[in-house]
Amino acid sequence: MALKLDPRTKLFMIFAVSAVVMMSATTPFLWMLRIAMTMVPIGLLTLEKKYASAFRFLLLYSAALVLLFTCISEQSEGFLMALLLGYCCIIAQFMPAMITAWYVVRTTRIDEFVSAMQRMHVPDGITISLAVVMRFFPTIREEYASIRDAMKMREIMLGGGNAARMVEYRMIPLLFSCVNIGDELSAAAITRGLGGKVKRTSVEALNMGMQDYMTILFFSAALILFMVFKYLK
Amino acid sequence: MNDKKLQAKDFITIGIFTALLFVVEFACGMLGFIHPYIVASYVVMIPLVGSIPMMLFYTKIEKFGMLSIMSVLLAIIMFVTGMGYLGAPLIITAGVVADLIAASGGYKSFKKTVISHGVFCLWICANYFPVVVSAESYRQDLLDGGYSAEYCDNLFRAINYKTIPVLLILCFTFGCIGAFVGKAVVKKHFEKAGIV
Repeated sequence: MALKLDPRTKLFMIFAVSAVVMMSATTPFLWMLRIAMTMVPIGLLTLEKKYASAFRFLLLYSAALVLLFTCISEQSEGFLMALLLGYCCIIAQFMPAMITAWYVVRTTRIDEFVSAMQRMHVPDGITISLAVVMRFFPTIREEYASIRDAMKMREIMLGGGNAARMVEYRMIPLLFSCVNIGDELSAAAITRGLGGKVKRTSVEALNMGMQDYMTILFFSAALILFMVFKYLK
Repeated sequence: MNDKKLQAKDFITIGIFTALLFVVEFACGMLGFIHPYIVASYVVMIPLVGSIPMMLFYTKIEKFGMLSIMSVLLAIIMFVTGMGYLGAPLIITAGVVADLIAASGGYKSFKKTVISHGVFCLWICANYFPVVVSAESYRQDLLDGGYSAEYCDNLFRAINYKTIPVLLILCFTFGCIGAFVGKAVVKKHFEKAGIV
C-alpha cells in the first residue's frame, strides 16, 4: 500500500529535517532523534516502492554512521583519515536533508505541488518557476546522457584534452536543447491557460488526512525535543 | 509585450535557468567532498562555469524581477538541500541588487551586466555561512565528538570569519571575469545559431 501524503506535509517535513540538519548532534539521544527522523523518509520511499533508492540511501547513511562511531578517536590523524572523516561527517550531517528532498521530488506530482502552493497563497511567479525547476532535473539528466553518447560516437571522451574544452563541449549542447525545450514548454503551458487572469482550478482535491497529521505531529515533536535537549539542558 | 508584468513564459525561463545553474553548482559541489580546501575554491569554479548559462539568461531578461525571483528560488533550493536559512538574506539581497544594477542599464548595457553578474555571484558565499556563523560551537562539537584537532583546523583554516571578505571579493572578481567568458561563449555559439 502506498501512503499518500499531502504536499504541504511533505514541505513541512523538509522544513523540519533541514532545521535539524543545521544543528549538530552531540549526545547519543540527539543522534537517536536524528536517525529516527531520517528513517521516516526512507520508510516512505519503501512504501512508494522505490526500493532501489531507499536501499541505496540506507546503505550509504548507515555506512557513514558506523564509520563515524567506530573509527574516530583521538589518534585519527593523517591525510587519509582526514579525508575519510570529511566524507562521513558530511554524509552523516547532510544526508537526511538530501533523502527527504529526494523523496519529496520523486513522489510529488507537479499538479499536486502547484495546487498546494496555491492553497498556501504563494505568489504565482515562485510557484511556476519552482515547478519548472522540479520538472527540469530529470530532463537535464536525460539530455546530458544523450549528449554524452553523441560525444562518445565522435570520440570526444571525458578527460581527453583540457578542462575548458570539456566544459564547453558538454555545456553548450545542453544549453541549446534546454532552451528549445523551454520554448516548447512555455508554448504548451500557455495553451493550457497558465498565466491567465482567472484563478486556476485543479483536478486534484487536496485533503489533509490522518496520516498527514500524524507525520506533522511526529516531526514537530522531534524538532522540539531536539532543540530542547540541545540548548536547554 | 509592452507591460512591465512578468508573463508565464518568463517564469518558465527563470525555472529552466535556475535548474541549470543548480546543476552546475551541484557538479562543482561534488568535488568539494574530496577536501575542505576545494570547498573554498567554489568561489572560482562556480562563477566561471556558471557564467555560460547566466550570460544566456541575461540575454533573455527584459523586465525587472527575473533575477530577484531566481535568487529566491536559489535560497529555497539551498534550504532544501540542507545549507540552512542563514545564507538566504545574502542570496536574496545579492539577487535584488544585481537586478537593480542590470535594470539601470536597461538589461542591454554590457558593462552593467558584468557588474551585475559579479554581484549575483556573491550568492555562492552563502554556502559558507553555516560554517562561519556557528564556527565556535561547531568546532567544540567536533572536538567533543572525538575528532582530531588537525581535522578541525584544516576545515576552519580555509573558511572562517577572517577569510570570508577575501572569498567575497574573489567571488565578485571571478563573477566579472566569468561574465566576459560567458559572453564570448554565447557570442561564439548562440548568436551564430540565431538563438539569442
